[in-house]
Amino acid sequence: MSEFHKGIAEILEIDESAVNAATDLHAGEAAWDSLAVVSTIALIDDCFNVMLDGQSLTNCNTVGDIEALIEAARKA
Amino acid sequence: MVAPIGREARSTGAQIVGVVSCVPSRTRRNEDFHATFGEAGVADVVKMIGVQSRHQVEGTTTTRDLCAHAGRRLLEGLEWTPDSVDALLFVSQTPDFRLPPTACALQADLGLPTQCIAFDINLGCSGYPYAIWLGMTMIQTGAARRVLLAVGDTISRIVDPNDRATALLFGDAGTVTALEAKAEASPSHFILGSDGKGVSNLIVPTGGFRDYAACGDARLAGKLGTALYMDGGEIFNFTLRTIPPLVARTVELGSADGKAPDFYLFHQANLFMLKHLIKKAKLAPEQAPVNIDEFGNTSSASIPLLMTSRLGEALRQGSKRLALFGFGVGYSWAAASIDVGPLKVVETIQA
Repeated sequence: MSEFHKGIAEILEIDESAVNAATDLHAGEAAWDSLAVVSTIALIDDCFNVMLDGQSLTNCNTVGDIEALIEAARKA
Repeated sequence: MVAPIGREARSTGAQIVGVVSCVPSRTRRNEDFHATFGEAGVADVVKMIGVQSRHQVEGTTTTRDLCAHAGRRLLEGLEWTPDSVDALLFVSQTPDFRLPPTACALQADLGLPTQCIAFDINLGCSGYPYAIWLGMTMIQTGAARRVLLAVGDTISRIVDPNDRATALLFGDAGTVTALEAKAEASPSHFILGSDGKGVSNLIVPTGGFRDYAACGDARLAGKLGTALYMDGGEIFNFTLRTIPPLVARTVELGSADGKAPDFYLFHQANLFMLKHLIKKAKLAPEQAPVNIDEFGNTSSASIPLLMTSRLGEALRQGSKRLALFGFGVGYSWAAASIDVGPLKVVETIQA
């Protein structure tokens, strides 16, 4: 998960050490907007080779929500 | 074998002999948008799209005008008399009128004979490989020996100037490519596909004969119906799903003779997406030239503009195997593997 957390930290513009499952996606300097969602789609494709859709990512509130989507997609 | 991702076609007996791109002389830099979106607002979008400047038309200039300039220069450079041209295809989503076809206007602009085949093709980012496939097929059947492909767009004229995602992204360009019959030309390979599930994700909702803006799609609330609407996340997903397998299959199909492509030319959608596609295809930067920084996303013109602005010298000097990938609005996608060069004319001009 470390590569993923590093990427999420860059997207949210927060410190990498602050990223954990409870991290609020709306708490960073950068907005959790369409640009952030698109960056996250690419990041997840890079790290896990799975594709998530934009709408379900938009609806996430925490990093843990995203990780749950990734787990579900990997099992599918 | 990689699973087919579209119709696969092969053509023989035709080759590209020249390409000219024409961009408007007016350049708009990122600073020019600070007043509208603020410096930080511009920087946010630019970080993703990678556009530093774009050429945009002024006043009443249309795609047809840019293509007419490019076409005249191409005919002159090739020393083709206008009456030797058998067909002209105009590929664009920014025609002069809803009717008549712009191809007919260009036939007259360029002084082509009335025995000339001329019609429009309504495709955007996928249009260039489609045009080459159709033009080469016309030559292969004997319907034509010399074909001009006028491919371009002026998307700056249909963006909402207050929508930063599109206003900063697009540049304008008109290009013309010349195809000619040549018996010994090496075969060209094409893959062509469509998915209408993407219709509403990149659309100008009104102005045709059906009003999509009235259909209740919540994403369009408060948007200008006559302007281009783009759902960037959906387009990105489509691209990531479709293009990596398209690249793999195109190389497999086009390189059965053991020769890999010299260059991979991707539609210049946005820099972030391009970098991702290039990384996924495991390409070195010099194999996949980029010009979105200088010209923006020029829609259907982006691939020929890459050829003239980034590969001019290489294509003038010798034969290169090019893998071309167009994808976007529709959804529609098309790829080609073709040997191009040495070209007599390969230029970017301004008008």
